[in-house]
Amino acid sequence: MIADVLVWLGIAFIGLAGGIAVGSGMVAFLVVLDIIPRLCQLTRSCKQIHIYEAAVVAGSLVFTWFDLSDVHVHLFALGAGVVGLFAGCFVGMLAAALTEVINVLPILAKRVGMGPYMLSLLMAMIMGKVFGSLFEWLIYE
Amino acid sequence: MAPTDTPYLYIRLRRRACVRKGSIVRLGDIAQMIVEPACEAALQELVIHRPQPADGNRILIDMMLIVRKIKAQHPQLQIEHFGEPHVLLEIVSGRKRPPVVLIVLVWLLLFIGSGLAIMNFHADVSMLAVHRRIYELITGEEKARPLILQIPYSLGIGAGMVIFFNHLFKKKFNEEPSPLEVEMFMYQENLNHYVITEEYNKIHEGERERS
Repeated sequence: MIADVLVWLGIAFIGLAGGIAVGSGMVAFLVVLDIIPRLCQLTRSCKQIHIYEAAVVAGSLVFTWFDLSDVHVHLFALGAGVVGLFAGCFVGMLAAALTEVINVLPILAKRVGMGPYMLSLLMAMIMGKVFGSLFEWLIYE
Repeated sequence: MAPTDTPYLYIRLRRRACVRKGSIVRLGDIAQMIVEPACEAALQELVIHRPQPADGNRILIDMMLIVRKIKAQHPQLQIEHFGEPHVLLEIVSGRKRPPVVLIVLVWLLLFIGSGLAIMNFHADVSMLAVHRRIYELITGEEKARPLILQIPYSLGIGAGMVIFFNHLFKKKFNEEPSPLEVEMFMYQENLNHYVITEEYNKIHEGERERS
């Protein structure tokens, strides 16, 4: 009996520890990429940043719960489309924020003298992402 | 208190200046000045430096050099300077615009490269399995290829990047610079900082050799 409780407590402790590690990692990842400040800056809503923080925490919690508990929401298929659009937007911002993307362009601009063509080169990257992704889902898989 | 008839020269150097190859650098090219009208024209035309091919295409002009040149011509002037004590000269050799082929090549490089990168990312995080799972959770049915989720997702990637770089609605929202512009600025600043430090080292070494 006591051994059972001890094992149970141990497992719960491991779960909690893992959750804390993953959760703080998630927050650190978002902080490093500066996506939330960027959205605040664009929408001029820096005072509401606490709501956005809550959104990130709530999203992580809700989706973890859905995933683990196997709840089904039985929405129509287009609902999945809406979720997909938002998910894609988020991944797009992640991709744009990664420094590897952002650091290449200034060097190209200086070294190859392509300063005036920055916008079209940026569009090349963006369209590359979109078509790469579409190609993967429509043809490759 | 200095007597009021001492003529003052107020001078502020530009941070960077561009000069065509082979032309002479005059004070008016690299600095803004406030001085009494009598000496202004002469000062504007004062020759500061004649770039030699050996100088390379970046030259640092130090405030000390400028003061020496001004004092040689107008010893009575009292010089007051604002801002940075040096100006970074860039010698431009009238380079033409890059050829179209090169631009197309770079465009294709970035296009294909970022497409590959997003596919790598999806494989890395098993995005397809996650999409299937999300589709199942939302609609309650399993599907091997949940395209209704994946096509909006793909378009969303583009929308997210555009929002992040803020190129399309730049005028509409506000005048804050986009991350790309900040990054370009930082790159240029770092470059300048490096060049200025290096050039100062060269100046110091040159002086030590001479003395």
